[in-house]
Amino acid sequence: MSEPAGAPAHRSESRGRQYLVIFFVLFVLTVVEVGVSYAHGPKAQIVVVLFALALVKAACVALFFMHLKWETRVLRATVVVPLSLPVIYALILISEAAWRRLSG
Amino acid sequence: MQAAAAHGHEPRAVVWPQDPQFGRASAGKIAMWIFLVSDGLSFAGLLLAYGILRGESLAWRHPGEPSLGVAFTAGLTFLLICSSVTMVFAFEAAERGDRRRAAIFLALTAVGGALFLLGQYTEYFGILHPGLTKEGLVFGQSAYASTFYVITSFHGAHVLSGTLYILITLVRWLRQKATAAQIELLGLFWHFVDLVWILVFTIVYLIPTGG
Repeated sequence: MSEPAGAPAHRSESRGRQYLVIFFVLFVLTVVEVGVSYAHGPKAQIVVVLFALALVKAACVALFFMHLKWETRVLRATVVVPLSLPVIYALILISEAAWRRLSG
Repeated sequence: MQAAAAHGHEPRAVVWPQDPQFGRASAGKIAMWIFLVSDGLSFAGLLLAYGILRGESLAWRHPGEPSLGVAFTAGLTFLLICSSVTMVFAFEAAERGDRRRAAIFLALTAVGGALFLLGQYTEYFGILHPGLTKEGLVFGQSAYASTFYVITSFHGAHVLSGTLYILITLVRWLRQKATAAQIELLGLFWHFVDLVWILVFTIVYLIPTGG
């Protein structure tokens, strides 16, 4: 970890509780995701909700289980910036496809 | 980090100097993150290709091709989440110097990985019932089938290598040759496998094929 050393036993105990909370959050969000995938309604809305839930789950894993929350800003940027580029690229492609459908 | 124990069989702990940019992150940790980012971009390429193919297709799933088992795969997702929790507890125990507890949690994580692989084998080839290959989802017959097998097997290869990585680290830990810092690096890889699965599960399994 990149944080300064100090009171490891206390930190370990609080982290242990935090890990269990994150586990519960991930479990609940997975159940919600499966429920949403069976829901009736506009497909675009279902896809947006599913992506939002997946991103929240992925962020929980990265921030808490992978300890990014406690890393320096530079290390976080080293990870987050390159991995954001495919997401931006995907948004551009989705927008372009939607534009073609609307105009064609 | 773990207490310095430079004598006997205890591995030598390296106290990494404070860096203005990367704090106390070791070179090993930074290298692991760089590897994970590049690996993440590989998955991103596959998922983007999947999205483009699926978005451009008029009918994604052809008649005769089976749908993917969401409930079964949700169980596998839960299994991976459980294994991520046992991994963080393994690191937490290792950091405290509780060798026995760390070994137990590492072993549980490896069991989780092995069960996931067994589940993936069952999904592909079937054990008690016919798998997807026998139900008509054949690699090379459609983009739906090929992208499914390429993406999930690429992830499965990561689970396999991660499980082997855990077992090797567990043996080294039991022989007092692995450090808590090395378990943290192992944890980064294993959580990455879990994180990627969260996205694969959503994109490949959960997005409805109809409509």
